[in-house]
Amino acid sequence: MVPIHHFLWLAAALFCMGMLALLLRRNALVVFMGVELMLNAANLTFLAFARMHGTSHGHVSALFVIAVAAAEAAIGLAIIIAIFRNRGTLLIDELRTMKN
Amino acid sequence: MQSLQNFFMNPPFAASDLAPSLWWIIALPLLGALVSGIAGKRLGRANVQLIASTAVAGSFILSLLSFWAINSPQATTSNGVTGHSIRYAMGHTFGTWFSAGDFTVNYGLHVDHLTGILLLVITGVGFLIHLYSTEYMSHDKGYWRYFAYLNLFVAMMLTLVMADSLVLLFVGWEGVGMASYLLIGFWYDDAAKAWAGRKAFITNRVGDFGFLVACFLLVVTVAAFEQDATQTNFARTGTSVSGFAAGVEREGPLAFGTLEIFAQALSASPDSEAAIGPSTEIGSGPLAGFTYGGVLTAVLLLFLLGAAGKSAQLPLYVWLPDAMAGPTPVSALIHAATMVTAGVYLFCRLNFLLVFSPVAMATITLVGAGTALVAALIAFAQDDIKKVLAYSTVSQLGFMFMAAGAGLWWVAVFHLVTHAFFKACLFLGAGSVMHGNGDETDIKRLGGLWKEMPVTSWTFLIATLAITGIVPLSGFFSKDAILHGLHGVELAGGLSWAPHLAARIGQFAAFCTAFYMSRAFILAFTGKRSPQAKLAHAHESGSAMTLPLVVLAALSVVALVYGLPIMRGPDGAGEPVFLNFLRPVFNPGTAIGDRLASVSHTDVGGLGMAYFIAWLVAVAGGALAAGLYLKVFPAREGQPAPAAATGIVNFTRNKFYVDELYDALIIKPVRFVAFLLYRVFDALLIDTVLVRGTAWVTQRVGSALRYVQSGNVQAYATLMALATVIALTYAIVKVLN
Repeated sequence: MVPIHHFLWLAAALFCMGMLALLLRRNALVVFMGVELMLNAANLTFLAFARMHGTSHGHVSALFVIAVAAAEAAIGLAIIIAIFRNRGTLLIDELRTMKN
Repeated sequence: MQSLQNFFMNPPFAASDLAPSLWWIIALPLLGALVSGIAGKRLGRANVQLIASTAVAGSFILSLLSFWAINSPQATTSNGVTGHSIRYAMGHTFGTWFSAGDFTVNYGLHVDHLTGILLLVITGVGFLIHLYSTEYMSHDKGYWRYFAYLNLFVAMMLTLVMADSLVLLFVGWEGVGMASYLLIGFWYDDAAKAWAGRKAFITNRVGDFGFLVACFLLVVTVAAFEQDATQTNFARTGTSVSGFAAGVEREGPLAFGTLEIFAQALSASPDSEAAIGPSTEIGSGPLAGFTYGGVLTAVLLLFLLGAAGKSAQLPLYVWLPDAMAGPTPVSALIHAATMVTAGVYLFCRLNFLLVFSPVAMATITLVGAGTALVAALIAFAQDDIKKVLAYSTVSQLGFMFMAAGAGLWWVAVFHLVTHAFFKACLFLGAGSVMHGNGDETDIKRLGGLWKEMPVTSWTFLIATLAITGIVPLSGFFSKDAILHGLHGVELAGGLSWAPHLAARIGQFAAFCTAFYMSRAFILAFTGKRSPQAKLAHAHESGSAMTLPLVVLAALSVVALVYGLPIMRGPDGAGEPVFLNFLRPVFNPGTAIGDRLASVSHTDVGGLGMAYFIAWLVAVAGGALAAGLYLKVFPAREGQPAPAAATGIVNFTRNKFYVDELYDALIIKPVRFVAFLLYRVFDALLIDTVLVRGTAWVTQRVGSALRYVQSGNVQAYATLMALATVIALTYAIVKVLN
């Protein structure tokens, strides 16, 4: 059986990659994918602990996260499409209407 | 006679059955006010008149029934604190109104002989005035407002007299003040009339302040008494220290029943060491160190301030003459017959407290005497018929205060009732004169109404004779009962000179009354019609206006019966009807006054001679006025008075410059302080520093913080991530440690 810390390291790596994508990439679509990556890293952590404890609590949480991620993807992609139609660009540093 | 008495004393129903329905007496006019006020415009003139008059008529019938019920010897109610029964009364508690901590106020109504008399006067005279108003206000667009206010007034006045605690009384007290304000300023598009309403309201507020402080002092005093009292205090009242405390908790310290037991207990045995009395110092609470008697003197003097505001006594009488800006029937009902007598009612109701303080009694008597004289003198030179009657009202209220202050409560009530009849008649007569003469109020521009307005003239004459004090009209008996009674009043503490002086002043004021009333009557009704009159011919008013006049004139004659000594007193001698009738109400006051030896009344005798002198004074005053105004200087417009008289006349015509004095002494300084407050406190501190300063600081801080907002989403996300990392690191370090 694979020890738990392998899973946790993998999850941490995925989380950091997602976060870096979120913070550094300029394309809104990629930023969005970063968010998804972070959610899945959290899922992996939940499932790892669920397996370690042998209970189903972690599975339930993961299912919830998947549902939320699906809803978020639906709305987030719709917003991204709407922004692209409106502005003709998805570069985040050009989308700064709040400032002037 | 015997059968009449049997009829009165055996009502076919029990008072206790009627008591739970007492609230209807107040509810009917209140309902009328609601309906006329909300839907009056849609209902139309005739419906509003019908609703308003019927509501008061209904109250009158209920008042008659309650009055009949309490005449039965079986009619009893019980004191809420001790449970002992009170004869010739009925009452009902409808539940707790509010309570906070151990302070309770119940919603209770109480009708005894004093309240019964006032109920009949308020609803009876009130109904006549509603009837009169249907014609007097027949051309006014605001009829629905008028009748709503009038009904509201009646409801509030009834609350005032039926309340069984000072708190509920205060509700009525403020309610009638509000109705009075609304009706004085009824024609509010005339700025002077609107200001008159405000003046009345604000002057009354000065008095109400005194009333409220007096109530608070009483609450504290009763609470202290609960702590200090000994068992001996309650020996006479049939309760105990703990029983009294429980009763106060149940009934509230400001219920009249509680206050009466408090007064009885405090005066139980003034010379005994085992009991506390008026000269004992209060042991605990915020008033510790003051004596009970001293605090009660302060309470009564504060009540005097309140009563002086409501009843237009010195120094707060200035609002009443200006209150004539309202419609004339309003002046008759509110500013002559009922509301302004609230102060007299208050002292009659609190008779058991009044006797604790000869100082307060002397002060009230002297204030009354001073008011009676000053107002009568000012009335000399007023040319506005309503102003003459207004000052006359102030003066007559002064007479009532003399009597109430000297402990002659039944006489005060007697004069209150007769005055309600003849002064309402006079005011309604003046209204009829105005109605028939194109709203002319200047008596010098009237004249010669005798032939053109016969009913008004006759009733006005009868009422004038009554107020002047001509035998055998009711005013003679009530006024001379006051003056005669004052001679026999002895106050403790060497203060007997006060009532005796008041009697002399009152005698002179009575002379002045005869003078100015005769003058007003002669100038307005007799002689030739003045060339300055607005209309060439006056017209007599219709039956809705003359009927109340006739009824009131008849009543101001018939009311003399109340002063006739046809009842049997406790010692078998004959005594006046009202004295006999009101004895149950004023018994506590009389008994406590005897126990404390603070006040005593003796009949100084020589009643026949005194009556003859009084009559002579009245006739002399009237004759002097007649002589002066018919022969010496018939000072109508165009025939000026002799130069010698002009100076005096001008001085009195300007009301002794009292309004100007108040303006210089009180209003100007208040204005100055207000100006300072406006400039320094309001304009500088609040507006500039607080309001604009806050806005300025917010704006500056905002524009500084603006630079932090880059608008870049990833910059925000970075900050969030950093913050999370820091928080996590902190948490991990904490856990590891």
